[in-house]
Amino acid sequence: MLQCVFLLSDSGEVIVEKQMTAHRVERAICGWFWDYVVAHAAGDPSKVLQVVVSPTHYLFQIYRNGITFLACTQVEMPPLLAIEFLSRVADVLTDYLGDLNEDIVKDNFVIVYQILDEMMDNGFPLTTEPNILKEMIVPPNIVNKMLNVVTGKSSTLGSKLPDAAASFVPWRTTAVKDASNEVYVNIVEELDACINREGGLVKCEAYGEVQVNCSLPGVPELTMSFANPTIINDVTFHPCVRFRPWESNQVLSFVPPDGHFKLMSYRVKKLKKTPIYVKPQLTSDSGNCRVSVMVGIRNDPGKPIDSIIVQFQLPPLIVSADLTANYGTVDILADKTCLWTIGQIPKDKAPALSGNLRLEEGLAQLHTLPTFQVKFKIMGVALSGLQIDKLDVKNTPNAPYKGFRAQTQAGKYEVRS
Amino acid sequence: MAPTAPTAAKSASPSQPSGKSEVADLKQQLRQLAGSRAPDADDQRRDVFKRVISCMTAGIDVSAAFGEMVLCSATSDVVTKKMCYLYVGAHARAHPDLALLTINFLQRDCRDQDPTIRGLALRSLCSLRVPNLVEYLVTPLTTGLKDPSAYVRMIAAVGAAKLYHISATACIDADLPASLKALMLSDPDAQVVANCLHALQEIWTLEAASSEAAAREIETLYSKPVVFYLLNKIKEFSEWAQCLVLELASKFLPSDNNEIFDIMNLLEDRLQHANGAVVLATIKVFLHLTMSMTDVHQQVYERIKAPLLTLVGAGSPEQSYSVLCHLHLLVMRAPMLFSSDYKSFYCQFSDPSYVKKLKLEMLTAIANESNTYEIVTELCEYAGNVDVPIARESIRAVGKIALQQYDVNAIVDRLLQFLEMDKDFVTAETLVLVKDLLRKYPQWSHDCIAVVGNISSKNIQEPKGKAALIWMLGEYSQDMHDAPYILESLVENWDEEHSPEVRLHLLTAVMKCFFKRPPETQKALGATLAAGLSNTHQDVHDRALFYYRLLQYDPNVAERVVNPPKQAVSVFADTQSGEMKDRIFDEFNSLSVVYQKPSYMFTDKEHRGPFEYSEDLTNLTVGAETTENVISAQRYQENDNDLLLSTSDKEDNGTRASNGSSTSTYNAPSDLIGSSLISSQTPAETSLINTIGPTSSSQSNFSLDDLLGLGVTESPAPSPPVLSLNSKPVLDPGTFQRKWGQLALALSQECSLSPQGAASLMNPQSLIRHMQSNYIQCIASGGQPPNYKFFFYAQKDGATAFFLVECIVNTASAKAQLKIKADDGTAAEAFSTLFQSALSQFGLS
Repeated sequence: MLQCVFLLSDSGEVIVEKQMTAHRVERAICGWFWDYVVAHAAGDPSKVLQVVVSPTHYLFQIYRNGITFLACTQVEMPPLLAIEFLSRVADVLTDYLGDLNEDIVKDNFVIVYQILDEMMDNGFPLTTEPNILKEMIVPPNIVNKMLNVVTGKSSTLGSKLPDAAASFVPWRTTAVKDASNEVYVNIVEELDACINREGGLVKCEAYGEVQVNCSLPGVPELTMSFANPTIINDVTFHPCVRFRPWESNQVLSFVPPDGHFKLMSYRVKKLKKTPIYVKPQLTSDSGNCRVSVMVGIRNDPGKPIDSIIVQFQLPPLIVSADLTANYGTVDILADKTCLWTIGQIPKDKAPALSGNLRLEEGLAQLHTLPTFQVKFKIMGVALSGLQIDKLDVKNTPNAPYKGFRAQTQAGKYEVRS
Repeated sequence: MAPTAPTAAKSASPSQPSGKSEVADLKQQLRQLAGSRAPDADDQRRDVFKRVISCMTAGIDVSAAFGEMVLCSATSDVVTKKMCYLYVGAHARAHPDLALLTINFLQRDCRDQDPTIRGLALRSLCSLRVPNLVEYLVTPLTTGLKDPSAYVRMIAAVGAAKLYHISATACIDADLPASLKALMLSDPDAQVVANCLHALQEIWTLEAASSEAAAREIETLYSKPVVFYLLNKIKEFSEWAQCLVLELASKFLPSDNNEIFDIMNLLEDRLQHANGAVVLATIKVFLHLTMSMTDVHQQVYERIKAPLLTLVGAGSPEQSYSVLCHLHLLVMRAPMLFSSDYKSFYCQFSDPSYVKKLKLEMLTAIANESNTYEIVTELCEYAGNVDVPIARESIRAVGKIALQQYDVNAIVDRLLQFLEMDKDFVTAETLVLVKDLLRKYPQWSHDCIAVVGNISSKNIQEPKGKAALIWMLGEYSQDMHDAPYILESLVENWDEEHSPEVRLHLLTAVMKCFFKRPPETQKALGATLAAGLSNTHQDVHDRALFYYRLLQYDPNVAERVVNPPKQAVSVFADTQSGEMKDRIFDEFNSLSVVYQKPSYMFTDKEHRGPFEYSEDLTNLTVGAETTENVISAQRYQENDNDLLLSTSDKEDNGTRASNGSSTSTYNAPSDLIGSSLISSQTPAETSLINTIGPTSSSQSNFSLDDLLGLGVTESPAPSPPVLSLNSKPVLDPGTFQRKWGQLALALSQECSLSPQGAASLMNPQSLIRHMQSNYIQCIASGGQPPNYKFFFYAQKDGATAFFLVECIVNTASAKAQLKIKADDGTAAEAFSTLFQSALSQFGLS
């Protein structure tokens, strides 16, 4: 059970401190943690392990937008509970404050304290559903500020307690007002792939999410089905999804929360095709290394492939690098990362990067060959092939507007050389 | 919008003048606002409160304004109220008298019309944590538990647990646990039910140490009606409350298989939950329920594989490490079940190295005949990795797989290819592996030696690799044409080789070579022995001297010593014991898994339970390193004491007190025998050596102590055992564990060991044998000096009742902590006496 939550700034300064139990945690722990970050990750908290042990406490930390969320405990507890909770705190704060950074948190620390107070009591998570929280603590948006000025009432506290606290659908407030009667479904996939030196596919998996933005009045009943649900290897659902219909017919049946949420995430493994190829070639002799990288479309997904970037870490022990491309721009960053920004592949020529690396004196050959990381984005298609068959909405007074989108982007897409 | 007091925020120290003047300024303003009835007083108040809180957050000591804050607290503005509650909660402890002033308005707020205000006030009231205000707490809590609003009830439930922490008696006297229990089983609101459960667990777990009634109450929590009641409601609970209920269910002991299947059917969809914490908690339930059903247990593994792999890949990067640790645990337990998913464990370039390391270990574990080729190919890719530690690990992984497999042919080829990569560390690592391989598969020597022979020892810098090469030169000198000459050139460079490890290997290798090819090696041997003898490193010197005398005594004997016929090594020792892995497995879904250590090795006994926090902030330890530091610090302290005491006191101390100081004072002679290093040493130095090598000749210390007549203390007269024990009780670990979880604590005691006993405990087996001779059986043991942990059991003669004991022995203080659980609670006292007398006899017989 968590004893304390701290929010730390980019320089390790305490922005917010919230004690959860009778056992006060001294602030000194933040100093210890920051020393640890400096010693182990050169002051970059995103590179530190999520579970750290200090001489006095076990620490959990996550890092978002320059803010470290740090939680302390002295007792055994499920580590994932703490990490999930901290992630939720970060999400809720982002949702409330519109964005998350040090200044915004400092400007709104009263809200932050109120939220933390409702989210956890005595070290155990309490209310973490944004919908319910918003009824208890009103978000600081412009409309509210305006209202306050006009009505002369200045309270960020909801006037009444939410009904949902006692309802059977805790993710949805019972009465959604001024809904615009629309629902948008968006499939977002990330393609993880690993391609070996010979161009063979070592592994290729897609992680996908079905995101829904829902603005429907009343308590709508939604059912959604896929054209090809069998390709999915594993799924996780938002609590609103009923399990039985999925198990028996692969149909998603749910009462959605209001607003934006992640309906389900899934994994498709053993994909056979990658949309683009990247062919690196490095040949080195007598202190020079010839580099040539070719990029092109392998399996046309039917939609344009956008924002293609190929990047790789220049090997150590290199004196100079002279790399040029016949298309796009090549940048060599301070940390010796070579960034080749291609964008879209032109119709008339195949993009190619070539050049020469001079090795250090006395070194004839390169021993460590770089791994090429590829980024791209394809709008309008889910590369796993998953397709939504239909979406039915019941229990609404008028037929709502339904919108569908899909997109795929590269996740960990790596080509070895 | 919020005035954040920029200057104050920058200067974190309260002694800074800016901070001080800021606080004075705030006090001033608060005083003015206290009685103000101006129309904008509320807004002003809110602004000032904001500034106070922001100062507090910046670390400025604003406790001086406590009185003024309380004066201003009478406000109808809820946000101001909340800020005030926050402030009061943070400072009430330091100002118990002034805190009394706040009670009034908090109590009034507890009766407010608005449930939000009631709830907030109640929460703040319970968070004051001032012991002398407890009397004002009980009434609002009891009314709060009956409040019509679920929000207030839910806060009151947690408040009861908070009250228990402030004053246990007040909480018990008001009979709050009973109200909580009633509420838990009847309240329509799921969150209230969850909070009641949380509070009850916390209260009863802590209470159980002293009260049997509470221990029984805990059992009722784990009983079928309660667990099934909660499980049936599981979908109504919030995701966090689900974790709580699932944790409870994982401790439930189903009476038959139907119950097991009922629970698993009910919970199956929890594996699809978006929250990783719920998924892991569900997995824990599944694994624990099916522990006794081997085939179902395996099916469970198959079922949970996909959700775990999804969590690793699709969850946030923060989650994936923790999940991966759990996956690692499961893979290590049942590698073959994961062998078809080997691609999931391939390292990605962008993975952080701690993730890569876990993945490598898993790849090594799941390699079998069907996937070895792919895995080894993949591992070979990593050998050229930029990340040197990972490259090393992957070479070792290839070696480990080679040692596991029957068909080593292809792997040996790969390993030999590594040698051609011509990278310093790759060559070194590979040599070490080739050496190990040859020890297990001598039949491969010809292939390996052909390649190894081409490696110039000059290119290897790392001692381990060099030592491995030298070992092979010595071992296979008959097959390697120029082995004697390579060795000779190495001997010539003796002075440039600083590592004692390499020098030791060189000595042995030259000896081996000498017996195989005497004429060619004789000169080198002479030079080696001479160099070795003049070496200042103790081991090198000793070994050279030993060889020299051996040769002098009889060359034939020497040959038998140096070149005996060798048996191929079949199994290399595993680093982590199976028992340890089991223990970690029992603690699935906890920090133990992330640290890869069972919790007793890193949590201290004071706060081992889920709710026991420690005020003492010095005794949290993870890993052997820290423990060692603690021990040595302790011993230094003891030595300081020794130096300060007069001689007679010292003797007294030596006989009576801890093993640490007694040996350090009196056993210098025995250490002299062990290593000729020590000639004239102060006790402090001796003890240092003891700290480094605690296993060194404890037996001889003991006998010496005996000889000097110092060690023998008068053995306490053992009280006649009123209880007789079954001489051959039988209890399997599974049952033990279940009983341990199920039974309430009957007794918890501390007793002391004889110093001799503590000294003999360098070898835990001796205690286990000793206890066995007293009909008390050990089921599990573990730990590192000076802390050992044992689980014992015994059975009453002629009855089925078992006694279970957890015994934590600290050898440094010669104390043992006993926790006794018994089927028959009435006999626990008698058994404890028996156990303690047996323990006190240890080392004296």
